[in-house]
Amino acid sequence: MMMKIAAAVLAVPVAAVATIGATGVVVVDVREGGPQGHHIVVPMPLLAARAAAAFVPADKARLKLDPEAARHLPLAREAVEALAAAPDCELVRVEQQDELVVIRKEGQKLSVNVRSEREEVHVNVPLDMVLEVLPGPDGRFDPSAAVAALGSARFTDLVEVKSADGDRVKITVY
Amino acid sequence: MERARIWAGLLAFGMAAGVAAAQPPAGWLHVRVEESGAKAAKVSVNLPLSVVEVALKAAPETLEHKGRIKLGDDKHQMSLDDARRIWAELRKAGDMDFVTVDQGDEHVSVARKGELVLVHVNKAGQKAEEVSVEVPVDLVDAMLSGTGDEINLQAMLTQLQKRRGDIVRVKGDDANVRVWIDDQN
Repeated sequence: MMMKIAAAVLAVPVAAVATIGATGVVVVDVREGGPQGHHIVVPMPLLAARAAAAFVPADKARLKLDPEAARHLPLAREAVEALAAAPDCELVRVEQQDELVVIRKEGQKLSVNVRSEREEVHVNVPLDMVLEVLPGPDGRFDPSAAVAALGSARFTDLVEVKSADGDRVKITVY
Repeated sequence: MERARIWAGLLAFGMAAGVAAAQPPAGWLHVRVEESGAKAAKVSVNLPLSVVEVALKAAPETLEHKGRIKLGDDKHQMSLDDARRIWAELRKAGDMDFVTVDQGDEHVSVARKGELVLVHVNKAGQKAEEVSVEVPVDLVDAMLSGTGDEINLQAMLTQLQKRRGDIVRVKGDDANVRVWIDDQN
């Protein structure tokens, strides 16, 4: 009898963890430099983020675009699609005395790496997400779909910023 | 039945190979900029021509709107129709020096050599510079194949897809620039 109760009690959290695990989690990890630095980890289930994004008011999910820019949105979408179809490559490299910027296309992600004396920044942008975030001709975009697109970038470090004084911010999708 | 499956498989493989062979290799546009000096930067850009093609789609209206080739200051411009007429004559002439200008320490030459139009600018002195542009004859044909004040960008791009090699080389006292197309990413 005790075994049945224990199984029933455990079933709920196990199912919840399994659902969250199956749908993905975004983890924000902030670590301050120095021995007394704080370490904050905020896990956010994608399912919850998607549900929250669905409540974004329609007027907030609409960008006021310059008519000239709006006219070129379909082309921007086409360019991203062409990039997604292209093989992996180094698109841009800028080397300066104390700074290096590299933009690469890796699979279905655009990876941006900036390294300087002050900080290191690594950003991985899923191309699917770019397509979701690009607004339509009326300037509208779907925040919920943009969050859902993160699901295609699981086990990816979306953003990692390291400063020279030891601070680090990392956002990962699991 | 088994034999029919094998033949169908072989046929499908052959057709797929044929389609793959018929498609031209995807070209890449490369840009390299190497600055000189203490805070010199090196810039390298590699773009698939498929992406360049999409980006260029944004341009035709601007070219159509302005639609004039600028030669020097605003007072001296040549319409595209005039450029078409002149090019038609020059094209027939075959290999030759179209233009040679020697002015002070600057030398400019535009010549046709085989299937290329070569533009060279040499500037001596303190700000020495050497510009070398190689434009395939077919690319000029394509550029001028539009009507009125239109430059035919689509036709230009179709020609660029076929082009492999240098397009522009600039050797300046403060930077070197190279733009070329090849099949390597």
